[in-house]
Amino acid sequence: MPEADHDSFEERFTHVLRDTGAALDTGRRDLAAEGAARGRRLVARRRAAVAGGVAAVALVGVGGALVLPGGQGGDGRQQSAAGSPKAGITTTAAETGAAKPAVSAASLLGAFEKLLPGGRLTQTEARGTDERSSAKNMYATPYVQGVYDDGRGKAAISVGINRVPPGTQEARQNTQCPDKAFIAYDSCSTTKLADGSALMILKGYEYPDKRSGTKLWRAELVTPTGQFIDVQEWNAAAEKDAPVTRPEPPLSAARLTALATAAEWRTAADAIPASQWPKPAPNEPKGPTGSVSATLAGLLPKGVEIVGKGNADPEFGYVVVDDGKGASLVQLNDQPDMRDVEGELFGADAKVLPDGTKVVTHQSAGDKDIAGIVMWTVDTIRPDGRRVVISAFNSGAQTTAPTRRAPALTLSRLEKIATDPKWNTLG
Amino acid sequence: MRQGRDDGYPEFAAARAGHLYRSACLLTGGDTHLAEDLVQETLGRVYLKWGRISGADNPAGYVQTVLTRTFLAHRRRHSSRRERTTDVLPEVAGPESAGDASLRLTLFQALGQLSAKDRAVVVLRYWEDRSVEETAAAMNTSSAAVRTRCVRALARLRLLLGDALGEYARP
Repeated sequence: MPEADHDSFEERFTHVLRDTGAALDTGRRDLAAEGAARGRRLVARRRAAVAGGVAAVALVGVGGALVLPGGQGGDGRQQSAAGSPKAGITTTAAETGAAKPAVSAASLLGAFEKLLPGGRLTQTEARGTDERSSAKNMYATPYVQGVYDDGRGKAAISVGINRVPPGTQEARQNTQCPDKAFIAYDSCSTTKLADGSALMILKGYEYPDKRSGTKLWRAELVTPTGQFIDVQEWNAAAEKDAPVTRPEPPLSAARLTALATAAEWRTAADAIPASQWPKPAPNEPKGPTGSVSATLAGLLPKGVEIVGKGNADPEFGYVVVDDGKGASLVQLNDQPDMRDVEGELFGADAKVLPDGTKVVTHQSAGDKDIAGIVMWTVDTIRPDGRRVVISAFNSGAQTTAPTRRAPALTLSRLEKIATDPKWNTLG
Repeated sequence: MRQGRDDGYPEFAAARAGHLYRSACLLTGGDTHLAEDLVQETLGRVYLKWGRISGADNPAGYVQTVLTRTFLAHRRRHSSRRERTTDVLPEVAGPESAGDASLRLTLFQALGQLSAKDRAVVVLRYWEDRSVEETAAAMNTSSAAVRTRCVRALARLRLLLGDALGEYARP
């Protein structure tokens, strides 16, 4: 596959990761034997559990021959768990312990056909809420996808159905427009729907740097109860490695919205066995953090306007600033307790401030495929091990052409920001 | 259960353990003790279900998925706010230049700074070479979430090791 335009950091990182991983030794010789020993212990434990009357264990993994009533208090019809090939919502008994009736692959496909505007739908695939993945015995999230042609060119469309822990940062992130600092796109909007759901419509590209011209338009819907619907459409018959067939994906923003908000997907999201619902990560803050980028924003000199900011996680934030001479991306990492890497990062030539903070600076070329882009970095570590590293670019993003000759902040300004006492009060 | 299985499990485990260990080292950001534990746990689970797994299209891929999920489950149970990279980094099999050793250390430290899920995305996408969709399936999440994590993790890695990789010139 031609990779000439591949983002060079991604490429270099891939090489380093693979070379480093491949060079590692393969651990102790007895890992396989100890794994088998652990397996034997698991067998013994499971036998004891079954003997002890945990009958439910025996049901897990029962295949498609299961025939059960189609829903509590229903009309008593019996439906096969394999699902009817016909359209319409067929319900089957969900996995052990699930409260809602399962939604079969055939049902999802039927809904997909019904909800798409007139056209040809081929190469369809779907996975119901009652299925395991091809990797056998692993639960996998339901989806439906196909190649749709409205007469103006084939296009892949997929609908993914999942759950997110409601009210968490993770839930919000799924419908937050990404900053153009990290990903190229043409338009993005997030709207709040009447029922409290958040819907993001993102018209972007398959590759972050627009490589190959494959467009990817997405609708991401997160409802207040954590139903998460992800619709994606391309202007090609496949996600990757397929030629572009049309100037744009087939569904307009309005049609994407209609498809993403259809009730059928929410029913399916509710049918995902509750045991599979992701739980909030114990350490992910529940509220919007904003601390790193907000602190960074508060430390900027007067006269620079903030034109964008965001957080990727609690220890990382960025702002895009403009002093009237063009956009400039500024990123900052605030990491507590990094004494174990101090020797690596701060050599003997590091500057030492009166309070013991060590400072090193780097001025380097940024992405080698972006002519003229530069990245200025000030790396600092305090005596208590807190590392604050800040980088500024002469562009509003890492992957776009320079907007100016030098970053909007000088090295001494970057140092002033990185060594500000305000960082000591975070995390 | 007989001690000496002749159903292909011992050969499979022996053949995969090394690769699993390397993957686990990357997933754990270089924590070799945890990596060993994860590999044993993974192989233990595989032992239990070998009858079904051995008939799967791609048992090796399946086992990598088990490893990833075992790792994420472990992180959920034992997560600590201040995750530290270990002092004992994985060893390399052959001779290594000082530059490579330094890069290895830097890489593991950068990986160690990512969240567990971000690291899992990075390892599956760039070490295991899985597609976004396959990564999503392995992590039991949506491809949209994988894309988001991937973009953000790369942005962070670039900040953490941009200069170090700048010197890693490959044709």
